[in-house]
Amino acid sequence: MGVASLVLGIIAIIFNFIPIPGMGWLSTILAIIGIILGALGRKDPAKAGISTAGMVCSIIGLVISLIFYIACAACVGALAYA
Amino acid sequence: MHLYTNFFGLKIPSYGLCIAAGLVLANIVAVIIIKRNKLDFNDFIILEAYCLLGAFTGAKALYLIVSREYIDWSRISDFNYFNELILGGFVFYGGFIGGFLFAYIAGIAHKIAAGTYIRKLIFLIPFMHAFGRIGCFMAGCCYGIPYHGVGAVVFPEGSYAPAGVELFPIQLVEAAALMIIALIIFTVQIRTDLNCTIEMYLFLYGVVRFFLEFLRYDSLRGHLSELSTSQWISILMIVSAIISYKIQFSSKAVRAEN
Repeated sequence: MGVASLVLGIIAIIFNFIPIPGMGWLSTILAIIGIILGALGRKDPAKAGISTAGMVCSIIGLVISLIFYIACAACVGALAYA
Repeated sequence: MHLYTNFFGLKIPSYGLCIAAGLVLANIVAVIIIKRNKLDFNDFIILEAYCLLGAFTGAKALYLIVSREYIDWSRISDFNYFNELILGGFVFYGGFIGGFLFAYIAGIAHKIAAGTYIRKLIFLIPFMHAFGRIGCFMAGCCYGIPYHGVGAVVFPEGSYAPAGVELFPIQLVEAAALMIIALIIFTVQIRTDLNCTIEMYLFLYGVVRFFLEFLRYDSLRGHLSELSTSQWISILMIVSAIISYKIQFSSKAVRAEN
């Protein structure tokens, strides 16, 4: 779980910087799954290190995606009208 | 009032910045409370992550429901249009219901006492939400009705709100109300042995949101008869808070009698 969390966290961070449509929300979901796997992995003391690294990377990925890709309903209501 | 915040030359969307700031600050407070109450940090993170996933899904689902009439469903297979729909548009109440539901499921799936964590940390929801409302003010969305009294705000060109019109600062009023709710729940939690923080939040926010909805002026609001979707959900929240409190109160009374 620790390795999976680390991989997802790194992918989430990278996806945030790829200017292709869909990468923002995809990285949000990957980061959240990475955080869950990281926290689960930390319960095993032998894999706590890599799991912590995975969790931290996923949190960074999530915060970046929140800053750049989240908007509230009214903000982008116009998109739905387009 | 500032769609973007300049941060060392980098243009950062103000709404996202406020949401992220709220989330980070709330987590710092949560860590302190978890350590004081000797709860498990990993369990908290698991619950929070599930909660975020549920909030993301629920907020999006309710947005799609309330704005279904304005969505061009024939273009849904067009990836760019689909991506725009997924990226933007989240309704708080949908996120709230989805978050609760997913946290409850996570509690069962990972054998975590989700109720304990939710009761101890629920005051952080209005805390984070207040930051979100400040973000709305910065972006000029979720704006209030035309108003010419004290505190009226005029949004500039480029905002989501109509430019050059004096409007009621509903976002700031709601942010202040949310901070007060957070403070009340936190104070009650640490000063008394009342175990009804969830009910308090549901009741207080339900009441506040119900009345503030009358002062909202943004067009994208789902309506059912005379009331908005959010007002119906507020009524549901208030009723469920009262029922839950009554059940708790009566079961305590029965235990005391025995």
